[in-house]
Parts: sequence; structure tokens; C-alpha cells
Amino acid sequence: MTATPTFTINRRQILKLAAVFGATATLAACSGPSLGAGAGAASRAATDWTGIVPAKEITWWSNHPGTSKLIEQEIIKRFQAENPEITVTLVTAGANYDEIAQKFQAASGTNSVPDLVLASDVWWFRYMINGQVLPLDDLAKHLEFDTDDFNKTLYDDYTFTGNHWAIPYARSTPLFYYNKAVWAKAGLPDRAPKTWAEFDEWAPKIAADGGVTPLGLGKGASWAAWWFCNMLWGQGGAYSDEWTMTLDTPEAIAAADYLQSLIYERKVATVAAVDQVADFGAGLTGCIMGSTGSLTGILKAATFEVGTGFLPEGPEGQACPTGGTGVAIAADRTPEQQLAAGMFLKFLTNSENTAYFSSNTGYMPVRTSARDGETMTQVYAEFPQFRTAVDQLETTRSQDWGRVFVPNADKELTTALEKIMLQQTAPAEAFAVASTAIATSFDENVSPYL
Amino acid sequence: MRTIEDLQRDTDSAVAVAAPNGAVGAPLTPAPPRTFTPRRKKKPWKSWLLFLLFAGPNVALLIVFTYKPLLQSLYYSTLQWNLGSASAIPVGLGNYVAWFTDPGTARVVTVTLIFTVATVGGGMVIGLVFAVLLNRKLHGRGAARTIVVAPYVLSGVAVGLLWLFVFDPNFGITAALLDAIGVASPPWYNDPHWALVMVIIVYLWKNVGYVALIYLAALQSVPRDLLEAASLDGASPVRAFRNIVLPLLGPTTFFLSITTLLSSLQSFDIIQAMTRGGPLEGTTTMMYQIYQEGFQAGRAGYSSAVATILFAVLLVVTLIQMKYVEKRVHY
Repeated sequence: MTATPTFTINRRQILKLAAVFGATATLAACSGPSLGAGAGAASRAATDWTGIVPAKEITWWSNHPGTSKLIEQEIIKRFQAENPEITVTLVTAGANYDEIAQKFQAASGTNSVPDLVLASDVWWFRYMINGQVLPLDDLAKHLEFDTDDFNKTLYDDYTFTGNHWAIPYARSTPLFYYNKAVWAKAGLPDRAPKTWAEFDEWAPKIAADGGVTPLGLGKGASWAAWWFCNMLWGQGGAYSDEWTMTLDTPEAIAAADYLQSLIYERKVATVAAVDQVADFGAGLTGCIMGSTGSLTGILKAATFEVGTGFLPEGPEGQACPTGGTGVAIAADRTPEQQLAAGMFLKFLTNSENTAYFSSNTGYMPVRTSARDGETMTQVYAEFPQFRTAVDQLETTRSQDWGRVFVPNADKELTTALEKIMLQQTAPAEAFAVASTAIATSFDENVSPYL
Repeated sequence: MRTIEDLQRDTDSAVAVAAPNGAVGAPLTPAPPRTFTPRRKKKPWKSWLLFLLFAGPNVALLIVFTYKPLLQSLYYSTLQWNLGSASAIPVGLGNYVAWFTDPGTARVVTVTLIFTVATVGGGMVIGLVFAVLLNRKLHGRGAARTIVVAPYVLSGVAVGLLWLFVFDPNFGITAALLDAIGVASPPWYNDPHWALVMVIIVYLWKNVGYVALIYLAALQSVPRDLLEAASLDGASPVRAFRNIVLPLLGPTTFFLSITTLLSSLQSFDIIQAMTRGGPLEGTTTMMYQIYQEGFQAGRAGYSSAVATILFAVLLVVTLIQMKYVEKRVHY
């Protein structure tokens, strides 16, 4: 065996090491953020768009929601046919909204920032407070966007301080899916329960005669706290009132109590281990709340007939959150590039392309004209389930700030809901922990930048 | 750690002890004193140039991709900075205070400790067992060796996705196997403790081949004559293994303890693919927390502080290992 040399360090070596570290530290200090609070986008001077010539090349970062790469490429082709002087480069910048956001934030301050970027419901606000995206109202006015035609909830999802920070693109909502075969066995009418009270009446029949666990629930980040909006709002509660957490209200506690009782007292619901959609498709559960974005997949995968309906109402009525992604324009680009990006954004979300994108992916048609147009009418004829999702859109509302605008809020709420669903923790206790953490995160990560 | 000088001294003293008995023969004549032959002294700038030529590219890469980010992260850990924001607020040690006083920190540390101890300890024991088995003359030994080592070269994400299905309590193989013997599948994904057990099992499955491979190489360099002598002296195979083989494996064990500890503390892929740190953050290790806080929550400063703490822990553990454990490695 060979002997290894002894690990010793003398003074000279330490000095050398210190020199290397010192030089590196100097390098390190050269980059990074500037010090001091509040350089948000709101402080940026408005651009006068008249007289600006659009740039010749722009870049768009997308994750192609709903496997839409070919659709997006086709729309780009159509745009370039109309505007031969502008080239749009489509970049696959991640597999999901989070990965896009991570790259977009990491690229901040470098030359790699794209001109257009997807901005999902939980990310656009952070882009905004970081000063990374452009307020779009002036540009939209200059380019004569028909903004009145957008579904109002979906368009206003991106509003803060009187400005719109993104344009709706691939938007979805939760939807109620049920197994028609199970429903028939249980002798239930062929429709979704209108209210949770009605579901309570049906659930024992579904279990006894249908032979399955009536309701499948999903856990995990970016998911549990989304569908729970339905139960929470349906009881008259909310995660927050603007920036004030309201999870300690009797309504919020009642919603969580109801959720917990479905699992532990009545034993009519189960929390999926991995994928609630797969469990439903395999016939393990009678119904689920899934995303409208899963519609095409569920219809393909299920060996039984799938029915869809509005999410059940609570005592305080219908409650359905919106989700999905919009498209934003980067602030850190030249006005020429931003103008070209705006032109493409207008084209991408015009009535024809909205219908084209929606009919090929299953995302909501974000424009009223597209929703009622010929393309979508054909889709409804073929998949009546899709019509339900579109009709439900009228009942949706934007999400609570306390979930989507505060860093880590979704994680804290997910943990609280998982405690309630998996460990039977008292809702008041679980919510109190989450509320404190979210309030702290707001103080540290949001309020200094507003 | 032994040096050449130590070995030389030992040899000298052995000779000195042996000589009086006359067993070795006449005492060695002392070596003639070294004569100083004047050599042409190399110009220092020339050797510096050579150094730069050979080490330069490497050092440059190390500075740009290792030391600079390390120091930069140290600097960021003193800021309250939203990832992506052009400005940040200096908070001194605020992020460190926040981490040490956060009620969730105890859980993250516990999860990290359990994960590390189980994967490092378990990996070394199982790897050694595999190595001993594979060192025997068995039929199909080559195939068995390949099978044991193969998972190590697979991508962690692929392994994670594969095992995601294996552990599925409704459709997975484990559920089917347990069902066959009349046992219900544990809630691998819905219970934080079972989830931790699950990711540990998968980590071990993936990485035990590496330990087995290194141990196997070491076992093959154990001198046969030592084992034969022991067996002639009547030592049982177990005794021979404990008193001869294990001590001879000392340096290998030491090497493995450092490398597996470092990779275990930095493991990310399997957790990301299987549990994303959940449920109830039951599989959130410090490494996963760094990612979660930095890229999901965008708290770049806080995340850098956790990274710095993990770096300090790794540094201290490695130094302790080098200082104390290595001394007890017998040769």
C-alpha cells in the first residue's frame, strides 16, 4: 500500500490561498443586485410608442402548455407571413411554468432575457415586483388590442396598481369529473352534484352500489391549495383579504372541517398517493376535481364514459378559481423589441388564434368571440364535456393574493392542507402556522418591493 | 497519516531491533553522506510559466465556476434578495438568524440527519456485503457484478420516476408483493415517515453499486497469503474477516465515508423526481430546502444562507474525518 502525503498547510500557502480568495471575492462583488429597496416596475418611466420602429428579431420563452409546440410554431408562421420583417424565435425554456420562471429570474440583468415570457398565475406578480415585466396598457392601446373581448376575470387576473402585466393565454380552471358507469350503478342522475350537500347524499350510494371510493383528492404543491379554493370560497371564506390572511375566520375553518370530515368521519374521500387523475382513470375513485387542462388526457385514458360538471356549490354558492398562464413582455428590453413583442402578443391572442390554440389544447378560449366562434362550436359538438368547462368560466373569480402573490405561500398552504387531510390535524392549528409564515414572507419578500 | 519518513524510521528501528539477535546479520553500514552536486538553477519565471500553462486552465475554471460562486453565495447570504430583482436589501446575518430560529429548521435538520446516516451507513454495510459476495467464485459472478453496479450509472431522475411506480400503493410492484403475503402497502406517499424511508431505499438501490465496486477492488488487493496463514493458524473465516480483512479495508472505508457522505448530503434528483420534498415536507433535506427557497420561493438570500451553512457543515465534517478518522486507519 502506498502512503498518502500528509495534509499540511504552511503560512505561505495560506497567504496564496487568501490571495486567490481575495481576487475571487473582488470578482464576486462586481456582479449581483444593487443595494437598496424598491426598484419595482411601477417606477419605470412610460415609453412613448409613436415613432418607434419594431425590432427585426424577438424571442419567446414557452414550455408549450398542453404539448402545444407545433401549435405555437404554426401561429408564429402565420405571424411572420403577415409581418415578414419580424422573426420570432420560439425557445423551449422549461418543462413547466416553474422552470420557465426559474430561468427568467436567473436571466434577470443578463443579455439572455427573452422579449416574451409565459407568466403563470403564481409567477407574474413576482415578475412585476422584481421589475422584470412591462405594464401593458399603454402598449395595448397604441397597438389597438381589443381588450374588451377578453373574458373579464381572465384579463383582470393580471391587474395590479391599475395596470395589466400580462395577457391571458393558456388558461384553465378546475372541473368536476365523474365516472358515468359508477353513477349508473349507484342509480344517480347523469350529472355532477349541484352542491356539496347533494354530494353528501350521493356519496354512500356511490360507495355501496358503485363499489369505489366516491371522491379522489389530490395533494402536493401548486395543486391542493388551488382546488381547495372551491370549498373555501363556497363556505364564504378566503385565504386572504388583499394582504391580510383570513384563515382564522369561522368560514375558513368550516371549509377545512368539511374537507376533513369527508376523509375521516364519512370516509367518502381518499387522498391520492401519486396522481389522482391516474387513480380516477383506473376506476379507483368515482369522481375528482381536476384541471380543465387534463380533459383531453382523461377522455383518452379512461376505459369508461366520463362526465363533467361545474364544481359543486357550497352554502355560499358557486366558487371556482382560475389558473394557467398568460404572456408577459420583459421590461429589460429596448422599446423597439417591446413593440415587436407587443405586435406578436396581439396576434397570438387575437380571436382566430385563441380559437386555434384552444381547440387544439383544451385550454379555455380566453376571448368571448373565440368562445362563441365557429371553431369552438365544432369542438363542443364533438366533446360536450368541453362546453361545461367553458360555461363554468363565467362563474370563476381571481385567486386570493395570500396564495398567489406571496413567495412560499402556496407551499405553506399545501402543508397546512396536507396536515388536515393526511394527519387529521385540527384546521385552526394547521392554518395558524401557515398564516404566520405567509405574513412573515409578505413582510420580508413583498412589502419592501411594493 | 503516515509519511515516507515515518516508514523509513520504522524500517530503521526494525533493523536496529533485529540486529542484536543476529537474525538479520551484520548491522548495516551507514549510508554515505549526501554530497551536494551543484545543479543549474531553474529560472523561477520559467517554472511559473509552466505552472500557468498546465494548471492555468483548470485553476481558471475552478475560480469561475467554484470559488467565485462560493464567495458570491456567501455575499448573497447577507442580503434580502428576491431572485430576479435588480435590487436587494442588506440584512447582515439576518438570514442566518431566521434559519436558526425558524420552527421548521429542526425538522429539516432531522430529515437531513436521518437521510444521511441511513444512506451512508446503510450504503457502506450493504455495499460491503455485496462486495464480499461478489468476490467469491460463483457462477454468473460477472453478470451479478454488472447488475449491482448498473443502477449507479443511471440518471437519478430516471431512477426516481421508475421507483415512483414501483412504490405506488395501488398499482406498484411493492403493493402487489405485499398483497400476496396479506400485508397492506404502507402509505409511502401520504405519510412523511414512510416517504423518507422510501427515498432512502431508492437512494441506496441507486448508489450501493458504487460502494460495492470500490470495496470489491479493495478486497481483491487483500494478500491471499495473510488469509492462508490465518486459516492455518485455525482462525475461522469470520474471525479472519474481522481481524484481517476489515482493518486492511481501512483506507477504502475512509475514502468511501467521505465520498458517500458528500454525495448523500448533496442528493437532490431522487427527491425531486419522487416526492418534491413532501408530503408535509417530510423529505425536505437541507439540499432540497436550498432549491425550494432559492428557486421556488425566490428567496435568494435566505437560500444562500442555508447553502453556506451546509457548506460549513460539510467542511467541518470532512476536516474532522481527515484529522481523526484517518489517524485510526491502520496503514
